[in-house]
Amino acid sequence: MHEVDLAAVRPYADHLDDGLVQMSFTLPVPYSLAARRAALELAATIGFEEPEVVHYEQLTEGYTYFVMYGRCTQTVDFTLLQSEGFNVEYMSEDEIEGFAREHLGRPIVVVGASTGSDTHSVGIDAMLNLKGYHGHHGLEGYRCFQTYNLGSQVPNSVLVAKAIEVGADAILVSQTVTQQNLHIHNLTELVEMVEAEGMRGRMILACGGPRVTGELAKELGYDAGFSKGTEPQHLATFIVRELAARAGSGAEVSPAAQSAPA
Amino acid sequence: MLSDLTASTKRLALVGLAKNTGKTEALAALLRELQEAGRRVGVTSVGRDGEERDVIDARIEKPRVVLPGGSLVATTDGLLRASGLPYDLLGDPGVRTPLGRVLIVRMRGAGAIEVAGPSASEDVRAVSDAMLAHGAEQVLIDGAIDRRAASSPDVADGLVVATGAVLDRDIEEVVLQTRDAVDLVRLPSVEDGGDTGRRLWELAEADGRAIPGHATAADSRPDLLVGEDLEPVALPPRFVLTADAEQIAQLLDEHPAARWLIVAGALPDRFLRSLLHPVHRRRRELVLVVSDPTRVFLWKRGPEWYRRRGILLNTLNRIELEALTVNPLAPQSHRFDSAQLRALIEAAIPGVPVFDVLHPDYVGARHMLA
Repeated sequence: MHEVDLAAVRPYADHLDDGLVQMSFTLPVPYSLAARRAALELAATIGFEEPEVVHYEQLTEGYTYFVMYGRCTQTVDFTLLQSEGFNVEYMSEDEIEGFAREHLGRPIVVVGASTGSDTHSVGIDAMLNLKGYHGHHGLEGYRCFQTYNLGSQVPNSVLVAKAIEVGADAILVSQTVTQQNLHIHNLTELVEMVEAEGMRGRMILACGGPRVTGELAKELGYDAGFSKGTEPQHLATFIVRELAARAGSGAEVSPAAQSAPA
Repeated sequence: MLSDLTASTKRLALVGLAKNTGKTEALAALLRELQEAGRRVGVTSVGRDGEERDVIDARIEKPRVVLPGGSLVATTDGLLRASGLPYDLLGDPGVRTPLGRVLIVRMRGAGAIEVAGPSASEDVRAVSDAMLAHGAEQVLIDGAIDRRAASSPDVADGLVVATGAVLDRDIEEVVLQTRDAVDLVRLPSVEDGGDTGRRLWELAEADGRAIPGHATAADSRPDLLVGEDLEPVALPPRFVLTADAEQIAQLLDEHPAARWLIVAGALPDRFLRSLLHPVHRRRRELVLVVSDPTRVFLWKRGPEWYRRRGILLNTLNRIELEALTVNPLAPQSHRFDSAQLRALIEAAIPGVPVFDVLHPDYVGARHMLA
């Protein structure tokens, strides 16, 4: 029975270290032997060894869809990432409730909104509302959280005022970040306003959106960034662990929980 | 050159008016000059500096941060490891960021490194003081995007502001926006020296509970309205953050003798805009007093525009603006003539030296080549 070499992790299909990847894509070429050959060459160029087309079909005239296998020759050093601080193991809803009871022992207040001119509150709703996302409850469904979802198009000053009023432990904002400086400015303004109110040390600030990364969150001044594919328990894990760490309860410290790319 | 001007500033903040205003190049120039002068420097960033590619637009290559051997730096464990450079660990301030845990180290050799220090102002101050205690003669606090909190007098002793073509395609607009930003940094302080000033300071610093009519928690200081008689009226909790135009109008109607509004925390643009009409109607100026300019949030208009409409912005604590740096290039977009841009800025903003650290006529560069 092999042990996983965490310093050289590769994909797993049937056996440890077989490196097998299943992938699918469409090429804008007619369904033909030449199309199949093109897919194989492309997979080889990307770096997959022994590529195989296991299925291909015409999507519509001039477009062919492929399902392929290939062996990935690269590895990733997981041990580095663990010690770099990405060592947050997501907890389940029950584990989070238990953790909060043990290390915090009081309700955790979270205020969320979609700020600026964004009309969509889909991201915030998925994180906070009972219905949640992908079968996982939003934070509203947890006993340990007291949540306030302010909806969309909320001005930063209103969000900050509400957070102060209810004694928020965390503020969660969602915004679509584009090339436009306006979106970025609205996100940085929130951080600056919390600072101006003397509350930065008392509140966890998290931002979410389709293209939010840890790097972007850091530049914007947030404690964590959550991208597409984040589920409520990812956010909840981060919040309870970070609060426990700030309280100096001796619990395992954790920086931002990053969701896997969708 | 930059380093001469800022030599006596123990904690120097570098803040940009937007992304890609040349902040990192200014930091790099300072680092080179300080190394030449044999000064040991500490560096931190409230964002992330020295990365290869822009986090929002990956087409933009960014300048690296090269630290001389012996420099102190506050950055994350992951970025330290990624640099591959040897260092001595000086401290662990217990600050966690999305990029890892912040460590304070002394670089054993020179090299390029990504700098990502604490984001929260309180932590920035603590880390800067720690680096000074460990032997840094000066600490450079690098800003991020358009964030200004690091320029607060609570954090830094002096400020360099980076501006550039990226603000607008129209050079006049770039100059105007720069001027407005500088006006904000350089807000006049409240009635210097006189009895009135002292009284306003006293009121601003007072424990919330000492104010008549105010009964909420001591740690949430109320905004105060102050009249000619210099007696305070406590406003409802979070008034400045949440009041609408009607509530503001009603307040000013009830207090026709009000002269100052001491803002406890943040002063949002929404509040200022809602003030315009009531102030215009009462035909009297109103002076808004903030703790320092980083508490004021202006969107389209500068302090001068509000002043002309009877709304004056004063500050209790001033920020020391040492210099402006200019990036004449807006990446992927347009470019101005550097000398022309600098001349226009100097004409619009008297009393602040303006540099383009990458231009051949920058004294620092010439000095390095000699």
